[in-house]
Amino acid sequence: MSIKRFVLVFLSLALILTFGATTLAQDTTLTMLTHWGTEDQLAAQQVIIDAYMESNPGVNIELVTVDFGELRTKIITGRTAGISADVYHFYHLWLPDFVNSGVLDQPPEDALAFINENVAQGTIDAVSTSDSQTWGYPTEVNPYLLVYNKRLLAEAGYDAPPGNWDELKEIAAAITQVDDTGAISQLGLGVMPGWDSGIVHPFSALLFSNGGNYLSADRTVAEFNSPQGIETLQLYADLVASGGTDPSINGLGNFPSGTVGMVIMAPWWRATLRAAEGVDFETEVRVAEIPVGPSGDTPSSIAYTWLFAVDSNSPNKEAAWDFIHWMNAEHSEGEGSAIGDFLVNALGAIPSFDHDQAAFAESMSDHYVSAFVAASAYARPEQIVAGGQEIKTLLQVEIEAVLAGMTTPEDALASVEGQANAILEEQRMMAEE
Amino acid sequence: MSSPAIKSSWWMPDIPKSAVLRRRMLWAYVFVAAPIIALLVFLAGPILFSGWVSLHRWDMLSPVGDMPWRGLQNYVFLLTRDTVFIKALGNTFLFAIGGVGANTILGLGFALLLNSKIRGRAVWRVLYFMPVITAPLALAVMFSFIFDRNYGVVNNVITALGLPRQPFLSGPNQALMTLIFIAIYQYVGYYIVIFLAGLQGIPQDYYDAAQVDGAGNWQEFRFITLPLLRPVMLFVVVTNTIGALQVFDLVFATTGGAPANSSMTVVLHMYNTAFKFSRMGRASAMAFILFAIIMLITILQVRLLRDRTYQD
Repeated sequence: MSIKRFVLVFLSLALILTFGATTLAQDTTLTMLTHWGTEDQLAAQQVIIDAYMESNPGVNIELVTVDFGELRTKIITGRTAGISADVYHFYHLWLPDFVNSGVLDQPPEDALAFINENVAQGTIDAVSTSDSQTWGYPTEVNPYLLVYNKRLLAEAGYDAPPGNWDELKEIAAAITQVDDTGAISQLGLGVMPGWDSGIVHPFSALLFSNGGNYLSADRTVAEFNSPQGIETLQLYADLVASGGTDPSINGLGNFPSGTVGMVIMAPWWRATLRAAEGVDFETEVRVAEIPVGPSGDTPSSIAYTWLFAVDSNSPNKEAAWDFIHWMNAEHSEGEGSAIGDFLVNALGAIPSFDHDQAAFAESMSDHYVSAFVAASAYARPEQIVAGGQEIKTLLQVEIEAVLAGMTTPEDALASVEGQANAILEEQRMMAEE
Repeated sequence: MSSPAIKSSWWMPDIPKSAVLRRRMLWAYVFVAAPIIALLVFLAGPILFSGWVSLHRWDMLSPVGDMPWRGLQNYVFLLTRDTVFIKALGNTFLFAIGGVGANTILGLGFALLLNSKIRGRAVWRVLYFMPVITAPLALAVMFSFIFDRNYGVVNNVITALGLPRQPFLSGPNQALMTLIFIAIYQYVGYYIVIFLAGLQGIPQDYYDAAQVDGAGNWQEFRFITLPLLRPVMLFVVVTNTIGALQVFDLVFATTGGAPANSSMTVVLHMYNTAFKFSRMGRASAMAFILFAIIMLITILQVRLLRDRTYQD
């Protein structure tokens, strides 16, 4: 190759690379962090992302998913390392902490107007701080109900789910089967040790159905250490004593295999139950209201929410909010939003937006999700507060201690109450500083 | 003719003045400076920063400049009010005592066996060392199944022998002991190799001389093997103690500290405090308390074992 030709090729390549780099530099790249990481969920999210990128040339979306247990850590460490995502999908309990630390960008006015117009006030409150500032687009609403295996109840001689705690204890004990080596081959009520939501949400659902409260209405004081709370923890102790439950068996893992009679769970479990081999979703999986406790009048429950929000450090906030809006908006009347479709059909969760609830009403009318839809009307939203995650974990540990027979319900709740109130007080002082 | 010397200073020795040598010395200092700078940036810097953070309340999300000053409050809280920390400290000590004791005794015992003329010695060495090169998380998951209360193979064997089924990792009184067992399985192979190297470094002449003097096996072990293994023993005890006091991955992947913090360790509590509860100041204080404890124990161990080594 002559020198002249070499120089020509070199300059041409340099020109192409420079032009290419300039073109790439003009593209906007957004990173979205979610916890929806199963193969099916990834594929479904990618469909949404691809559709957005196709209709918005110049915007690239990169999806990052981590397990729920690592999501908060990922957000925190990403921010500290200066490599935070642009768009977060996170659990609303963390909202006050993130807001206090300046993690989140305030949604634009048109986004707030859209949310206010299309979401029920209770759900908006769940993604808002105490100053009524809304911080993102609410997504899944998850009330907790009693999910039971109709076949196992029938085999134990019961044709209806328990309506109160005496029935719950009776049926749970009747379903449990222990072989002559002491192995539990079938369990009445499954609990979910090691997972804070798996322990505290069912506890709260039972507590509310027993007429109790988690925090005071103004969220300044813990109220779970009450006669109703002690009765609720005593229920756990009684269930362990009668063999109705056993903390060594994980309800979440074993219900789908058909070896657990009842669990208290959320609607997003539908995809897992549909795919389960040990239990027939159509004929065996049923949902009932939370059994009413001795101090309660009517069934109640707890519901938690998630939201999409934008990182305040994002260099592409406008594009990020546009993407979130696109996912949540209905592009043709009556067809629902892309994320609504994902929530209902890929997860089995209840979407927040009215247009999604209307568009996917049929998909939510199956025997499983429809019960949760009905419960979402009366379930009490999880009270979010700065330090809420820490309080929840402390309570989880004490509930597990009661399940393990290490402490009494009275001592357990008294211990957490003191610590929870100290955290709430500390957070108040921090806010005043 | 010798070159005139460069004026000596505290940082540069007296050397002949020559352009080549000066350039060489300069490059020498450049090369030495690189790792020192890396050490300062990546080790000393974070340690000092962590110490500074331990005197503040910091959630890792707010700007560092906005950290509210807390003085020694984090330390006082941990030592007086944080019941989980006290519990975790106790568990960590138990874990270290059990793990170090068993690893030292078993490591030495198996090393003595493998140092003798037994059949398939090389195969045994490989077998003992395999857990060391296995990913800790993989081991943790494997043992979670093995020790499961209902379908674990250990319980199947126990019940086949007519003994009652045990909760192991799900039992508040057994979780920590089970973790110690797993840690011993995981690390004993490493200490066997260390002891084996020590044993093979003892000259055979000593044993020959002892045999001429009529010494038996026990006397050989007591008066030759053990004293000459003391430096190795010191290494095993110190490194094993430091590792055991910092245990994290095994507990994180098996019990997560459950049930009810019965298997909670200091580093796992530190991790939860930092990343789950966003209390980096308190977690940093925990790190410094653990550092002080490890340093104290290490100094004690070195003094106890080293002094006797030199006297002997």
